[in-house]
Amino acid sequence: MAEYLRPSSLEEAAGMIAAHGSTLAIVAGGTSAMRFAVPYVAYAMGVRGLGMNEIERSSGGLSLGAGVTMRQIRDSLPIPALQDAARGVGGPALQNMATIGGNIFAHPPNGDVATVLLAMDATVTFFTTNGERTQKLEEFYDSGAQADGLLTRIDCAAPGGELVFLKCGRQRFNSRTVISVAACIGLDNGKVGNACIAVGGAGAHPMRCAAAEQALIGRALDDAAITAAGDEAARASSPGTDAVASEWYRRRMVATYLCRALRQIAAG
Amino acid sequence: MASGIVSIKVNGRAEEVVTGAVTTLQDVLRNNLDYTSVKDGCSQGGCGACSVIVDGELRLSCLTPVQEVDGSEVVTLEGLNLSNSITALQQKFIEKYAAQCGFCTPGMMVAITALLDRNANPSRDEIAEALAGNICRCTGYLPIIEAVESIVAEMAGIAGD
Repeated sequence: MAEYLRPSSLEEAAGMIAAHGSTLAIVAGGTSAMRFAVPYVAYAMGVRGLGMNEIERSSGGLSLGAGVTMRQIRDSLPIPALQDAARGVGGPALQNMATIGGNIFAHPPNGDVATVLLAMDATVTFFTTNGERTQKLEEFYDSGAQADGLLTRIDCAAPGGELVFLKCGRQRFNSRTVISVAACIGLDNGKVGNACIAVGGAGAHPMRCAAAEQALIGRALDDAAITAAGDEAARASSPGTDAVASEWYRRRMVATYLCRALRQIAAG
Repeated sequence: MASGIVSIKVNGRAEEVVTGAVTTLQDVLRNNLDYTSVKDGCSQGGCGACSVIVDGELRLSCLTPVQEVDGSEVVTLEGLNLSNSITALQQKFIEKYAAQCGFCTPGMMVAITALLDRNANPSRDEIAEALAGNICRCTGYLPIIEAVESIVAEMAGIAGD
């Protein structure tokens, strides 16, 4: 069994990560790490004691500690898309434990909250032995999702338009994710000015979908544009097959749910 | 391996556990302290049979390292019925046939207690959502939901008197 480490500061945590590398698993809420990582490593590092559970709102946007739980998102964040995503993560006990930081590292098809964060163009901040490092969540995923320190904070600007999250699941509550989609669309004189689209459960991690965004920008949010965006998102997806759904089904649901989300935005 | 002492209060009693390796709260409650209402169902957070209340919050003890509850108050089903009589909730479970094999029942009752602490008058939908993390393979859930509705109605009646 892994030795349990409890750092008392960010510096100490960063030092432990640097010292133990891939033989160390980080445990925040524990809902993912205790199952998928801790049984296979020599060291488990519990970070609950470091706090990191503050939610700060400013006119410019939102700063979320990596330890903010699904319950806190549901109770204290008036952003319906994030609340919807958090509400779909497990049952109430799991929501009291699972953190937003953990969701970013969740195994696919999990990661519904991270999918919304991508559509909000969030940044992630890591505390490393060389100090703080901030990068776009999208870049973090694109560069292989390798953390060189402790994820401490997620920041997002106020959504640049209407933000909608939809999850395809098999049951109303506590459903495994088939796929999830998040879309943030800003309309300018009836035309799409900016579009930020993300899909979850459709690849190795939640991903931005540039082709679907390009299919919308500069066009009216009508049926033709919406269908084109859905097709592009399905084409860009490379989902897996598991006991919940097949690759074939997931790919079709990406198009179906993205179109549904965009129609919801078009209807206002 | 460096070991340390974890101090917790379980159902009102102070306990100490010496541990250095990852040890789950479930393991400590069930195997060290003999609180056998804490069931070992799936060991991966999927079934809710190990649900306990930590500092007033519902948690899955199978995914909680005991080191993370150092200094906390833990309540198991045993702690909800210290007089060892039949509680009002247990009576409703009997009346509505809400327990069959009984394996999920402790987790269900702990989850229901956590729900009613947050919301004394939940709707049927809110009850279903609050129990969504607890799996029962016998009852089909309806008798359990009806038992909760029944105790909510009874509590409202008492409050209204």
